[in-house]
Amino acid sequence: MSTTKNNLYGILAEVRNPKELIDVAKLVDKSGYKNYDTFSPFPVHGMDKAMNLNKSKLGWIVLGHGIVGLTGAFAMIYYMMVYDYPLNISGKTLMNIPAWIPVMFELTILLSAFGAVFGMFFLNGLPKFNHPLFNSEQFKKVTDDGFFICIEAEDPQFDAEKVEKLLKNAGAQNIETIHDES
Amino acid sequence: MASNSPKLTDSVQLPSNLDATKTFYGIGAAGLIASGVGLFLNSEQFFFSYLTSFTFFTSIALASMILLMVHHITKSSWGTVLRRIPESFISKFWIWALFFIPIILGMSTLYTWTDPAYVAEDPIMLGKVPYLNEPFFIIRQLIYFGIWGYLGYKLHKVSVEMDKTNDWGLVVLLRKLSAPGILLFSLTLAFASFDWLMSLDAHWFSTMFPVYLFAMSFQAIFPIMILITFWLHNKGMLKNTITQSHIFDMGAWFFGFTVFYAYIAFSQFLLQYYANIPEETLWFYFRLEGSWAYITYTLLIGRFVIPFVLLLGRDRKHNKTLLKYTSILIIVLHFLEIHWIVMPVLHDVNFAFSWLDITTLVGLGGIFMGLFFSTFKKNNIVPTSHPTLADSLTKQYHQ
Repeated sequence: MSTTKNNLYGILAEVRNPKELIDVAKLVDKSGYKNYDTFSPFPVHGMDKAMNLNKSKLGWIVLGHGIVGLTGAFAMIYYMMVYDYPLNISGKTLMNIPAWIPVMFELTILLSAFGAVFGMFFLNGLPKFNHPLFNSEQFKKVTDDGFFICIEAEDPQFDAEKVEKLLKNAGAQNIETIHDES
Repeated sequence: MASNSPKLTDSVQLPSNLDATKTFYGIGAAGLIASGVGLFLNSEQFFFSYLTSFTFFTSIALASMILLMVHHITKSSWGTVLRRIPESFISKFWIWALFFIPIILGMSTLYTWTDPAYVAEDPIMLGKVPYLNEPFFIIRQLIYFGIWGYLGYKLHKVSVEMDKTNDWGLVVLLRKLSAPGILLFSLTLAFASFDWLMSLDAHWFSTMFPVYLFAMSFQAIFPIMILITFWLHNKGMLKNTITQSHIFDMGAWFFGFTVFYAYIAFSQFLLQYYANIPEETLWFYFRLEGSWAYITYTLLIGRFVIPFVLLLGRDRKHNKTLLKYTSILIIVLHFLEIHWIVMPVLHDVNFAFSWLDITTLVGLGGIFMGLFFSTFKKNNIVPTSHPTLADSLTKQYHQ
């Protein structure tokens, strides 16, 4: 058992429609599983709630980047315009903040956008060249009309027999064991 | 409608005990009579105060109008259940237009360009005579109020008619009305902002000004809709119809246009500040000297920084307590900002708040809200028959 478990990725099962997917997800969540995911060709309303997902942390990542951009821009211009190379421009003060605001705004936006895109990559574990689920032939339907749920072997209470039984009782079909062959 | 489509479960009639039409008309009449006394005591102050208050309420009606037209033309469903609120603000705009008459009567007090002796001495003003002259001013006002009055009346009437006839084909008519409506609206709003506010200081010009007035007004319309929604909820109305997701949408619009307002207001300031050309900069000079400067900084902090920080988080955009106080803040500051645009022309050194500002605000506000309630109570407070109603009712809030 232990040797097979090493490259066991998880157990994949198919359901017929989004409604069933939500029901199965609710059941799996209630049974105490943590490492599982659902797959559908389109976003399913109410899935976040069914899977009991936490709110995304992306907003905080973006906020952090934005604050760094704002203060970084201010520090940069202050260094250049007041400290390093003070220049009298049409008699205005050296601390000419209104004129700095466009740059501060742009850098805030730039870093926030970077934070949003790369933060999303980071949270999703991207870039990734392959995924064990791609080994499954039936999983190809997920971009067309297939609705899947996969309970991963990493889950602390994972037990292949119990998981299969749970999914079968929930009405899922085409239950398949997925191995990580990489 | 299919049998399994969601249905309105709330009462869609405003109960008679919530009908505040007469109260508001009473308040309005009292306010206007008090202001009328002020006309004889200090006519100059009266006209400036009246212009401030009139612009304040008109800007709310105009923001409602553009919001509705954009909603129709994009076939949106998010705001279908909220739509009767802006519709009621504009349906009797043609009556509201009559309250512009005092401004025409007070033209010679308000606008220096009406004084031939002053214009004759000033080469800049002489160049503006083809546009800034009294007959053309009055003709333009007739055009603006004609267009707005018609659009407001029609947008409301067709929408209400759909409730009665169940004829969903009328949405096409609403779209056909909105498409040219948006174009005409933008042009008339632009020229109206030039006429009413910019020409107070006829030397000054800013091409950003119409957008600035629009951004201000559009930021203020969402707080007003939010407060009316909360008032209805508080009275037990529409609790299952206007849900968390609709409140979140309004909060998101509110936040978005807080940023847009700041962007536009700052752009207008920055270009003129940086170029530093006397005829442009003078307008800001008056507002950054004396105690007007405090108002300027209050607007910067209160109208942008505070709502921006408070509403940034996702959960906060539907936090009722937070929305309530931010909304009140923005509505007060919207009035203060129009005051800040108008009044330095009269009191050019220091901030001055007159009792006439209050009486004209109360007077015109009473009439404005009275007109709102007289329409609001007569019809269903939610459109009961509309293709996007089902979508709007089932709208879900996503984490």
